[in-house]
Amino acid sequence: MPPSSDLLQGTLDMLILKTIAIEPEHGWAIAQRIQQVSNDVLSIGQGSLYPALHRLEYKGWIRAQWGASENNRRARFYSLTAAGRRQLNAELENWDRLTGAVNLVLARI
Amino acid sequence: MISDLWSRVKFFFTGKRRREVDEEIAFHLERQVETNVAAGMAAAEARRQAMIAFGSRERAREACREERPSWGVESLWRDVRYGIRGLLRNPGFATVAVLTLALAIGLNTTIFSLLDQALMRALPVANPEQLVVLSFAGDHPGHTHSDGGNSPGHAHEFSYPMVRDLRDRNTVLSGLIAAASAEVGVTWNNHAESVGAEMVTGNYFQVLGVQSAAGRLFVASDETAPGANPLAVLSFDYWKTHLAEAPVEGKTLLVNGAPFTITGVTAPGFHSMVWGRTPEIFVPITEQKVVEPAWDYLNDHQSYWLDVVGRVRDGVTPAQASASLNGLWLSLRMAEFTSLHDQSSKARKDFIAAAHLNVDAGAKGFSPLRGDVEMPLTIMMAMVLLVIAMAVVNVASLLLVRAAGRAQEFAVRYALGATSGQVLRQLLAEGLLLGGCGAAIGLLLAPEALRLLIRRMSGDSPGGLPFTPTLDWRVLAFTLGITVLASLVFSLAPMAQFQNPRLAEAMKERGGSGGGRSLQFRRSCVALQIGFTLLLLVGAGLFVRTIENLRSVDPGFATDHLLEFGLDPEMAGYGATQVAPVEQRALDAIAALPGVRGVGATNDSDLAGNGIQGDVNASGYTPKPDEDFDVELPWVSSGYLQALGVPLVAGRYFNPGDTATSQKVAVVNEKFAQHYYGNARGALGHVVSRPNKTGTEATIVGVVRDVKHESVRDPAMPTCYTLIAQAPKPAGLTFYVRTWQPPDTATNSIRATIANIDNKLIVGKLRTLTEEIDENLTAERAIATLAMVFGGLAAVLAGIGLYGILAYSTAQRTREIGIRMALGAQRGMVVRLIVRETMLLAGGAVVVTIPLAMLATQAVRSQLFGVSIADPMVYGAGIVVICLVAGLAGFVPARRAATVDPARALRTD
Repeated sequence: MPPSSDLLQGTLDMLILKTIAIEPEHGWAIAQRIQQVSNDVLSIGQGSLYPALHRLEYKGWIRAQWGASENNRRARFYSLTAAGRRQLNAELENWDRLTGAVNLVLARI
Repeated sequence: MISDLWSRVKFFFTGKRRREVDEEIAFHLERQVETNVAAGMAAAEARRQAMIAFGSRERAREACREERPSWGVESLWRDVRYGIRGLLRNPGFATVAVLTLALAIGLNTTIFSLLDQALMRALPVANPEQLVVLSFAGDHPGHTHSDGGNSPGHAHEFSYPMVRDLRDRNTVLSGLIAAASAEVGVTWNNHAESVGAEMVTGNYFQVLGVQSAAGRLFVASDETAPGANPLAVLSFDYWKTHLAEAPVEGKTLLVNGAPFTITGVTAPGFHSMVWGRTPEIFVPITEQKVVEPAWDYLNDHQSYWLDVVGRVRDGVTPAQASASLNGLWLSLRMAEFTSLHDQSSKARKDFIAAAHLNVDAGAKGFSPLRGDVEMPLTIMMAMVLLVIAMAVVNVASLLLVRAAGRAQEFAVRYALGATSGQVLRQLLAEGLLLGGCGAAIGLLLAPEALRLLIRRMSGDSPGGLPFTPTLDWRVLAFTLGITVLASLVFSLAPMAQFQNPRLAEAMKERGGSGGGRSLQFRRSCVALQIGFTLLLLVGAGLFVRTIENLRSVDPGFATDHLLEFGLDPEMAGYGATQVAPVEQRALDAIAALPGVRGVGATNDSDLAGNGIQGDVNASGYTPKPDEDFDVELPWVSSGYLQALGVPLVAGRYFNPGDTATSQKVAVVNEKFAQHYYGNARGALGHVVSRPNKTGTEATIVGVVRDVKHESVRDPAMPTCYTLIAQAPKPAGLTFYVRTWQPPDTATNSIRATIANIDNKLIVGKLRTLTEEIDENLTAERAIATLAMVFGGLAAVLAGIGLYGILAYSTAQRTREIGIRMALGAQRGMVVRLIVRETMLLAGGAVVVTIPLAMLATQAVRSQLFGVSIADPMVYGAGIVVICLVAGLAGFVPARRAATVDPARALRTD
């Protein structure tokens, strides 16, 4: 089992938005992608992935469409809406500021 | 953007379908299985691992559901449904709670609606917030005709020339209107009756923005010259009730005998620019001489009779309006001053330097009535707030008892993982459900209660009170607010018990009992109820005593078997010279009726809440510098004092020998004689006259005992009676008939007699003086009745509460009592135990409440008469009632305790 880190809810939302920013993805692929790219550090609890996707959809940041998956089965693909893109940018900016500040503190003290 | 919004709305109502969620999760698992297989696992193992990695599917589904935007509403609905089921399982409790709340909320809504209409609601006109009410400070020598409502520095009546100048020369108002009220005789279809009229400026309806229900209303060109505009507008209510909504435009009716052409009818809901006035007919101000034939106000700068309202122009601030109007008004006053009789520097200072025009916000309209009803309504509001507090306490203690029975249910819910928040939400939902049901029933009852109350309060006064039995948004908001607040309080009370439950203990508990803390809470509830009861009983007592006192006040003459009625021949179109003869004929005819002991008449009716006052010059008396001494100045018929039975102190009464042509005579009362001449005898032979009025000199021929005049509350005024026959002009009179006969018989023969003289004559308000006095006590009586009803209700509730506590605590102590009795305690001792508990509870509540009651009643002091706010009788009676209730409540449990069989008691538990 890969070591799991608890993700803050807001962070998970940001990661999902970022993951589907380039092209639409289905839920399983989003989870896989995040896990791979983070070298298995970030493993998304499956139980929290789908509620998060639903939450984002209800907020109007992402949109879901049925489509064919890579192995040709019906899957729900999630893509960013315009509002979602704005939200992602805002969250990235916020994240930069926060991590920058934390790093600064860690470096100076 | 739009589609975004649409999808959100859609989500709110439908959310996402369960099947979709399932399919998505299934797909996820399949992909994971495939990946695992690809990594070399056996199929079964691959599926198992995928399942493990995913975790509980049900939990994931649930979590998805909880993300739905409508989740909050859904769970609330679930709580409400659960609450409904819970209440239905216990219909007795639910009924009692809902009815208690319905009663309390209904009463609050009713009284608040009256308060709202009297004190908060804006006039039903266009843009009422632009209206300003004008009043002024400064001297106003001359004649003031006021309906009341003035305070120092705020005289609300203006002269017609002043109104015209202000209207035509100001630059800050888009309109300025004026009105005055009067009673007139109206003849329609040969039926004459007296109705309320308002004389208004031509632009009145235009400036107010009042629409017509039929025909047209007045316009500015309907106000031209005195006597040139015999037009009438009818009020909607009058048109509906008296003219059956007949087409009236262009028809003619008689106002005080003169023909007026009806132009139209006002829209329903509008009464007057003065709140509280309910005129039935409007006439142009230029017809004042027809409405009040005895007076000629229109060209007189020194007749102050018009209430004035302005509408501020758009973009003008109140400060600008006030500054501009003040400048104009002061310049007009300065011009007016040059024509005054008294040109001294003091007069100048009083008339100009000390003068100021007040421009006050007038959305609610000026109202003399408002000041009269404010206090009674506030008292009633305070009482119904007490009632709702009682109801809340009552429902809270009911809920607590019920909650005690539900200890297990809540323990189970906690055990199943419910959080405190969820339990709290459940309790709140139940509370709001009860409150909501109560409010719904209360709101249904309120209009009916309002109608009843309005009818009771308005008695048979003409036009009635300006209250309507309808609820506006403000009342509904109030009801909503008070319902939510009350629901919060009583539904959170049981929470104290469940906040930090020791589960094991709660599980062990066998239901039905609430433990020490809950009993303590219920004790406090009962103590509060007893306190509220005492407060209401004391209030009721004070007002009952007030009414008794007011009714038994001796006005100085006997009020039984004394009938009164108004007769104003001018309302039937009699000209100035014909009035006095027809009045004399009426006096003579009534005097000749069988059973009549005496009859008299005056232009200044007794105990009707008004008076005619002025200053006099008295020969042989030098006024102190700046003396401002007003006396009552009634004109009376020669038999008036004898008919009323005012005792003679010195000299003689008027007699038939005093006529229009004989020497002018006056009779004064003791107060008058005392002030001017030191004693009664000294007054005889002196001459009194009105300042600046020639031909009013009258010689004092008699002195009579002081009698109350304005109302039974007010002490007698110094009074100077003069004869109608010798008065400078005719007047409408109030007749007083002392009779041997029962009032009904006498009433009929009086009506017949007047009709016999001329059936156009209108007999106004024929009734006994006792009835008149009673009518002036309507507000006090309404308060006393309500306080008694509420006090009785409160006593019953408190009694039930007390009984509950005693029965419960006695049952709890069955074992203890059994042991005591087994050890030889007498039954009497057991009873003493119970009585002690009762007395501690009730006595404690009473002791705490008495000082509070004295503080609270301090506020209503002005409404009381002849009774101290610490009246021992009232408090004693209240305490006796509490003791009775406590005794009754304690009797049954005490008896049960005393008949406890020690052997049985020891075996219980």
